[in-house]
Amino acid sequence: MGTEDGMPLRGKQGPRHPRPTAGRVILYAVLALGGFACVLPFLSMASTALKSSAETITRVSPLPFSPDFWPSVFRWANFEEAWTRASFSLYFRNSLITAAVTVAGVVVTSSLAAYAFAKIRFPGSRSAFAVLLATLIIPESVYLVPNFIIVTRLGWYDSLAALTVPFMASAFYIFLLRQFFAQVPNELVESARIDGAGHARSLVSIVLPLSGAPLFTVAFLAFIGSWNSLQWPLVATRTPRWRPITVGLTTFISDAGPENQLIMAGAVIAILPVILLYFLAQKQFTEAIARSGIKG
Amino acid sequence: MDSARLQEPPHGGFSQGPPRSGGGAGRGRISARRVRDALSAYLFIGPSALIIAVFGIFPLFFTLYISLFKWRLTRGGFVGPGNYETLFGANPLPILALAASIIGIAVAAFLLRQAAAGRRVGGLALLAASVAGLALSLPLVASQGDGEVFDSLRVTIWYAILTVPVQLALGLAIAMLLTRKIRGRQTFRVLYLLPYIAPTVATASIFELLFSLRPDSFANQLIGLAGARPLQWLQEPRGIIPLLFGMSAPQPSGVVSSYWMGWAQGPSLALVSIVFFSWWVFVGYYALIYINGLGSIPRQLYEAAEVDGAGKVRSFFSVTLPLLSPTTYFLTLLGVIGTFKAFTHLYVLRTAAAAQTADPISVQIFFTFFRKAQLGYASATSIVLFLIVLGLTLIQQRTLERRVTYGD
Repeated sequence: MGTEDGMPLRGKQGPRHPRPTAGRVILYAVLALGGFACVLPFLSMASTALKSSAETITRVSPLPFSPDFWPSVFRWANFEEAWTRASFSLYFRNSLITAAVTVAGVVVTSSLAAYAFAKIRFPGSRSAFAVLLATLIIPESVYLVPNFIIVTRLGWYDSLAALTVPFMASAFYIFLLRQFFAQVPNELVESARIDGAGHARSLVSIVLPLSGAPLFTVAFLAFIGSWNSLQWPLVATRTPRWRPITVGLTTFISDAGPENQLIMAGAVIAILPVILLYFLAQKQFTEAIARSGIKG
Repeated sequence: MDSARLQEPPHGGFSQGPPRSGGGAGRGRISARRVRDALSAYLFIGPSALIIAVFGIFPLFFTLYISLFKWRLTRGGFVGPGNYETLFGANPLPILALAASIIGIAVAAFLLRQAAAGRRVGGLALLAASVAGLALSLPLVASQGDGEVFDSLRVTIWYAILTVPVQLALGLAIAMLLTRKIRGRQTFRVLYLLPYIAPTVATASIFELLFSLRPDSFANQLIGLAGARPLQWLQEPRGIIPLLFGMSAPQPSGVVSSYWMGWAQGPSLALVSIVFFSWWVFVGYYALIYINGLGSIPRQLYEAAEVDGAGKVRSFFSVTLPLLSPTTYFLTLLGVIGTFKAFTHLYVLRTAAAAQTADPISVQIFFTFFRKAQLGYASATSIVLFLIVLGLTLIQQRTLERRVTYGD
């Protein structure tokens, strides 16, 4: 072995990856089994979405090792049928606009507030922050009735404003961003202030450029939250005009009756954009989620 | 004080920073700057504060107000505590007994923490009396009040018991495997997080098929491999205890015994099927949060434990678990509060056949509002839910935080 001591040849079994032993085989087997369990429902969804109506009854198997798990002929037309029958193009557009507007609002309001809590000393800062955090434990059920009445009084019922404005600020995102803004050295902020920059300038030109990852976390979590919400849109909308894809899919599930291949095609349509986004930026996503659990 | 002060700038070559406010420089300029600082702070917080005040804080008081009215789609007559009477029943005696029992348990828990032996005996006696009081008064309140709400609370409690501990244990186990030196670590993380990322309405609709009552559904074929007969899964209102042991539940006549008989049957199979979904969604998320926590444990501690002759099991219990306690605390709090908030998958996976045995309190409140249009009554129920969550949060802060070890 032509290596210096402690530096074995960089081969397949480098120092980071010890040789396979019985223990390691079991380790990988357990991890693979877990991964399989995570993916199996998605496989089942995809294969059912491609079957014919008859095949969803006659050709079924729980595990993908059997040919019966898969359709005999891939029926791509199911997607077209689900798309038009459930008017997914409208719901899809609604969800995209709702999520985009919400995310933009959340990022702006939360960065401003988080900066104030992290970098400016002002009277009442501590108590305001405590009140803010206390709102986190209030269950959504408590908001349902009063916010329905408030939104109706504001004339927002069944509109984009009802679906976005109440969610454009959240104590959780402010809390999350504050933790990271606090880590930006005060020296940097102060030196900018000495140079005559106001707080707005120092937020935009110093703190925000250093906080790409946490901002991404907040934007991502706000997007998922908006895209997945069901309870509030059911309450706050009446017509399909602004109803999101979650409501569209639940309505479609009850309307489609026993046509499982269409329901699964609808599920694929609702899942696909989120999954694509997830795979494209998976590293940032897994780190974003891990970061959301930081307790300060 | 605020964290800006706690957060000292990192060591640099020059430490003459700008004069800190409150320091020695001219007082007039500093107070002018303070006023300007405060103004910009309020301006920055303004937008968030406005939205959170209107849609996050005011609604809490507004709900309380609404709950005092008979409120259909428009406000009806003032009924005062009427909605709460419907919830808990008109006879105040069992309600007072229930409240006294709950307070008694809290006081007993406080006494039991005291070191003095005499207090401990008193604490134990009070605990026994309070638990007995609870066992008797709760069924009475449930029978004279709204049985449906109390049933939905039982569903919520079962759901919390079955999900949170399992998700914590499995999440930690997977996190420990994933922090070993393995290939494809990132691939595994991505796969394990997939169920959490995907939209719940869609994934729940997959489980609706996987756990359907058809003999060829995924769940039925799987238990069929073990020779079991097909089950009704999401459509099964019967409890899992009678299902597992193949007996029909006895029907006691007394109010108290029939109430506790309901508990003794365990959660319905419909609810258990939904619990499987919850595991599938959340275990990967818990694992990821735990990976973060594991990463912050200094390696030297394990080496020190090894030097002291601790084996792997020993160092797990004396290094890993204690140092992970902040993460566990966070996840438990999140999990329990989350159980009371959970809605989407419970709404999608509920079936008429399960006869409300899988409807937690969140779904119950939603239907009171959405289907029955009883806004006042839904508000009263949500106030009770809020008080329960508040109580649980306080209990968790009191009990768990004392045992939490913070790394620093």
